[in-house]
Amino acid sequence: MPVAKRDSAARSVLYSDGMTAPAPLLAVEDLHLHYVSGGRVVRAVDGVSFTIERRGEAVGIVGESGSGKTSLAVALMRLLPKNVVRFDGSIRLEGQDIRALSEDEFRREIRWRRIAMVFQGAMNVLNPVLKIGDQIAEPLQLDGRLSKQAIRSRVNELLVRVGLSPEFATRYPHELSGGQKQRVVLAMALVLDPDVLILDEPTSALDVSVQAQIMNLLKDLKQDPGISMIFITHDIGLASDLCDHIAVAYAGWHAEYGPAERVLLEPRHPYARLLLASLPRLRATTPPQPMPGEPPDLTNPPAGCRFHPRCPYRFAPCDTDVPPPIPIGDGGHARCWLNDPGVAGDLYLAHLKEPAGVSHD
Amino acid sequence: MTDSVRATHAPAQETAAATATATAPLISLEGIEVVYQIRKGFFRTGQVHALNDVSLEVAKGETVALVGESGSGKSTLGRVSLRLIAPARGRVVFDGQDITAAPEESLGWLRRRAQIVFQDPFSSLNPYFRVYDLIEEPLIIDGVPAEERRQRVYRALEAVDLVPAPRFASKYPTMMSGGQRQRVGIARALVRDPDYIVADEPVSMIDASSRVEILNLLRTIQTERGVSFLYITHDIASARTFADRIAVMYLGTIVEIGSAAQVIDRPLHPYTRALINAIPEPDPRNRFRHREVVPGEPPTSGAFPRGCPFFSRCPDRIPGLCDIDRPMLQEVEPGHFVACHRVTDNVASG
Ligand SMILES: Nc1ncnc2c1ncn2[C@@H]1O[C@H](COP(=O)(O)OP(=O)(O)OP(=O)(O)O)[C@@H](O)[C@H]1O
Ligand SMILES: Nc1ncnc2c1ncn2[C@@H]1O[C@H](COP(=O)(O)OP(=O)(O)OP(=O)(O)O)[C@@H](O)[C@H]1O
Ligand SMILES: Nc1ncnc2c1ncn2[C@@H]1O[C@H](COP(=O)(O)OP(=O)(O)OP(=O)(O)O)[C@@H](O)[C@H]1O
Ligand code: SF4
Ligand code: SF4
Ligand SMILES: [Mg+2]
Ligand SMILES: [Mg+2]
Ligand SMILES: [Mg+2]
Repeated sequence: MPVAKRDSAARSVLYSDGMTAPAPLLAVEDLHLHYVSGGRVVRAVDGVSFTIERRGEAVGIVGESGSGKTSLAVALMRLLPKNVVRFDGSIRLEGQDIRALSEDEFRREIRWRRIAMVFQGAMNVLNPVLKIGDQIAEPLQLDGRLSKQAIRSRVNELLVRVGLSPEFATRYPHELSGGQKQRVVLAMALVLDPDVLILDEPTSALDVSVQAQIMNLLKDLKQDPGISMIFITHDIGLASDLCDHIAVAYAGWHAEYGPAERVLLEPRHPYARLLLASLPRLRATTPPQPMPGEPPDLTNPPAGCRFHPRCPYRFAPCDTDVPPPIPIGDGGHARCWLNDPGVAGDLYLAHLKEPAGVSHD
Repeated sequence: MTDSVRATHAPAQETAAATATATAPLISLEGIEVVYQIRKGFFRTGQVHALNDVSLEVAKGETVALVGESGSGKSTLGRVSLRLIAPARGRVVFDGQDITAAPEESLGWLRRRAQIVFQDPFSSLNPYFRVYDLIEEPLIIDGVPAEERRQRVYRALEAVDLVPAPRFASKYPTMMSGGQRQRVGIARALVRDPDYIVADEPVSMIDASSRVEILNLLRTIQTERGVSFLYITHDIASARTFADRIAVMYLGTIVEIGSAAQVIDRPLHPYTRALINAIPEPDPRNRFRHREVVPGEPPTSGAFPRGCPFFSRCPDRIPGLCDIDRPMLQEVEPGHFVACHRVTDNVASG
């Protein structure tokens, strides 16, 4: 099933400030979300940028536990816990900076209506005493705009869209299998017809064969009704099953971001390269290589490049100078000095000489 | 195994012989059946048939991976092999000794020689114990003298690369990363110098990038100490890297078993094929195609189906045969066994 290919990202960057091209569906720029905990600042999201150009595109956020994936989602949905001490940057939805909206405006216009989310573990917190149909219908009932009859047909339509029959409306959660519950949770997120759907580890509790069924459903939803997705996972293989763009999160940063082809086949950040090399693969000819070192402490991240204590390629500036997101021609970027010829000199892209990434058979 | 055993467990005959390994097995499970009694509501009780006539051997120094869907009976089989559960039927033999019905009081030697590493390094370690105490505890139970205990604790820490050992020994589990805690779990198993370790999802709670490190560590322990492993996992790709043989379970039975390469490169059971097709390798072309899937999910409970356990979902099923006759494991190439009526067609189609 072909998915519309996006234009070169470089062009969209050129046009993004102009009047002639439509604004991207979602453009996140230099987003920060910091918490305070035990008197220390946790830099969970620390200068993150990415773009979803148009409807039906998916961006994957891949990274280890604690790298800030869920925090990014929390920031986009503006479901902030009380201990947030910094929330800034811009989040533009079709050009409108929704981060600048008041909470009241955000709740009325954006949350669930334009950006919806499936939370990590959501299928386990379905209300056990409420029928599936009523759980899906709840936001429509609160909204009060649709008649009872219209709500019922909307619920049936959604159930069918997620691959369940309308009879499921009258069932209770305990009567459903894991895969069926995950479908219901998807229907609940789609009820107000959002443009962007955030999915936080939506399949990690499911068996592989059921996981594949859900991934096929998500692929369908990208096409029809054309939902854009932010797909959060620690499994880069799973991200490749859905995502047009991939961001590799590391210690509150996106170490690397770009088109799926580039990030998977020619990763520009050493962490992305090592991450790919560390995965056991079904048909690999070479054994997986362990990732060196330990994950960083986000309350006290390493100076300079946050990956430098683990990086086999580190050189002079790495332990003192913070690498900015260095643009790569395809609209993506990598936070690694090796990508800046002015800084790296002879070492410019030296890491690309070693094999990494995914080779096609 | 003796002929008399074969005679008393007729269904196990082919399978026990079929999965035999070249060297003498350390663990031999023959025709195992396990039924759990469960409560359903206040008054009703029910039964979960967790294993149905399962036979498996693990040779000395061998790693066998058990893969398969959630609830297929992997952990149950691991626990039977440690005699943490006594089977309703079948025979459990450890290093030549029949322990099927041995009373717990007589199994002290087994509790030392066979160990388990759990999936969750967070909940399986007592947070109020220092690492030293956690690893020392089993040695106290074994009555090892104090000075020898200290040496063995440090040696176990070094074996799992928690060095310098004295520094890690004084930490509490909460001060360590997930990968380090799992190393503590492994050191705790190793300190008794076991011959057999059941590793039940030992890396599923650890970040992807740290998994290989732990798996390599287990592999090193296996080769250096000749320990046998039963590696229980959902992650078939890691089974390929880490195990000598792979057994695929579905609904309480082994449906396919063979060398890691046989099972992954030439899967012959429709369920194994589905399992392998369902796994996305990191490839940017994946998103342009639907994944081949079998519809539905495994039935959760109740009695075993009469015929093939995969019948309700199988794309290749033959009604009138597969739902009536249970397919037995057959050897289709040396060491590669498949339980499917279609196996000859599937061999032909590659
Ligand atoms: N409400 C909070 N208060 C303080 N710290 C928090 C809070 N929520 C998350 N953190 C911390 O922020 C960092 C990022 O957490 P986050 O949940 O975003 O990571 P994640 O990438 O989603 O991880 P996982 O894969 O484990 O879900 C972690 O160090 C976490 O402990
Ligand atoms: N009304 C239903 N609608 C959809 N699926 C159902 C329904 N009832 C049961 N199931 C599913 O069918 C499978 C078997 O469930 P069933 O209720 O028959 O057995 P059980 O779980 O042993 O019984 P109990 O519900 O009393 O625990 C399960 O996967 C369950 O999720
Ligand atoms: N103590 C128990 N009491 C009742 N039923 C049980 C018990 N332990 C396991 N079961 C049931 O026995 C079957 C096999 O369970 P088992 O834990 O062996 O599966 P598994 O393959 O290890 O699954 P998972 O991959 O989820 O760990 C399941 O249906 C499970 O619900
Ligand atoms: S900036 Fe330096 S330390 Fe960081 S990833 Fe690049 S080479 Fe490694
Ligand atoms: S025996 Fe029949 S139902 Fe079972 S896996 Fe083979 S073809 Fe499918
Ligand atoms: Mg998270
Ligand atoms: Mg039920
Ligand atoms: Mg288990």
